[in-house]
Amino acid sequence: MIEIEDLTYKYNSIDNNELFHELSLTLKKGSFTTLVGPIGCGKTTLIKILLGQIKIDDKIRIDRILVSEKNKEQIQKKIGFIPQYSDELHDISYTKYVQTIAQQLEIEYLLKADQQHLSSGEKQLLSFLNVLGNKPQIIILDEAFTLIDERKKKQIFNILTQLNQQGITILNFTNDLEESLYGNDIVLLQNGTIILNGPKEQILKEEKTIKKAGLELPFLADLSIRLMYYGVLDHMILDMDEMVNTIWK
Amino acid sequence: MEIKYNEVYYTYRENTKLEKIALNDVTLNIKQGKINGIIGTIGSGKTTFLELMDALLLPTMGTIQLGEHKIEHQKKLKNDVRFEIGYVFGNPKEQFFLPTVKKEIAFALKQFSYKLNKIDKQISDALKMVGLDDSYLERNPLELSNGEMRKVAIASVLAFNPKILIFDEPTIGLDSISKNSFLKMLKLLKNRYHKTIIIVTHDINMIHKIADYLFVFHKGKMVLEGNKYEVFGNEQFEQYQLKKPTIMEFSDLVLKQKGIKLGYRDDVNDLIKDIYRHV
Repeated sequence: MIEIEDLTYKYNSIDNNELFHELSLTLKKGSFTTLVGPIGCGKTTLIKILLGQIKIDDKIRIDRILVSEKNKEQIQKKIGFIPQYSDELHDISYTKYVQTIAQQLEIEYLLKADQQHLSSGEKQLLSFLNVLGNKPQIIILDEAFTLIDERKKKQIFNILTQLNQQGITILNFTNDLEESLYGNDIVLLQNGTIILNGPKEQILKEEKTIKKAGLELPFLADLSIRLMYYGVLDHMILDMDEMVNTIWK
Repeated sequence: MEIKYNEVYYTYRENTKLEKIALNDVTLNIKQGKINGIIGTIGSGKTTFLELMDALLLPTMGTIQLGEHKIEHQKKLKNDVRFEIGYVFGNPKEQFFLPTVKKEIAFALKQFSYKLNKIDKQISDALKMVGLDDSYLERNPLELSNGEMRKVAIASVLAFNPKILIFDEPTIGLDSISKNSFLKMLKLLKNRYHKTIIIVTHDINMIHKIADYLFVFHKGKMVLEGNKYEVFGNEQFEQYQLKKPTIMEFSDLVLKQKGIKLGYRDDVNDLIKDIYRHV
């Protein structure tokens, strides 16, 4: 569980503008949340705060443990973080589990590869395997699969969904609402403020707010809303097969 | 300026155990004054293809013709080729090394000996083109958000006005407002300034909207080329493990499951009309 309580933060002490003002957010254990927001909404800073890279006193708890210098190691063990760009990875332990996942994704060659000549996308994949190998209870993604083609991305999200069903908490920071279809909840952050927070089926109906925040609706949500307007559908459908079979019964 | 690849090979770590053929006999012609999209899965050779064009790498075999210049194995390149090509890196952090946005953009400009009194305006104009104002001038590029960094990276290339613009995964980290303004900017660069634009991406929905011509890479080879109808509609396309544009996936599924042909649409609005006609 991740609890943020009354978080207030500004970039520096001279600046009067607060990025976050009394921001509160609770992500339950076993939740799968997509956190979206336009450029400059505070995502990057929030990640740094969650990972303890920016020191904040008494505002954040992870599984009831206060994020602080003293508890750093304990917290780090719980969290698996996958950044957008990964540096070279050292001492990766290729457990049987990691090998199985690599096999599923058809990327076993990466485990033996010379990292110097890997593309950024391949590094993202390796970083994903590395994090899974550490068996974290919470996985935080920061635009983690932006360099991976859509097909592989789908496979990865299916693996994450399975992990989530086993109780792993997942928090995905992204600009791409299309990815929210894999999770359960959506949080929309704008100018450091949470403006939407709830199950995806409800949040994705808020077309105006989403567009105003500079984000694009997922294709199926967009299509649903328009078909609802024309009376072809009576509720939002976020699965393509289900959509086709509902339109043409 | 003509860009022609002729039987180009590139091998990493040649003659060692770790040898990896990244590019395997690639012959192609970039369409001048158009938006060229390069797509392919991870490890298909896309990025190597680009790095050869900017002579960041030299081919193991074969030649690349860039206008009057020829890039080939172990041949030192004249620097003036690079002036023609603006390369926007996939990871903006790889591009930055100076402490402020202003210095970062000025760096390339100074190499091309712009008059110093004009530099400030060139920098402001370039920033404006990507939607950033002068308040960014004194900021440290490495402290910006991912999306802002990307914009600064693009601005630093636009500032020196190259004929050919190369973008490696340009839309990552951009929200949809920034993405749309980027796409608009590309159209402007093509239509008004007649730039040749080359985009390497895995963002199929984006490239579907913008590309005039596509090249598909698979396992180091260029396996398919044509306009988007020719490429995405090609029966072979599926075997290269790429996703089709979502809107086409939908139409394909409707055809497969219900036998209804919706036609090939670029836009959801047109698709809706088609669906409405068929229910």
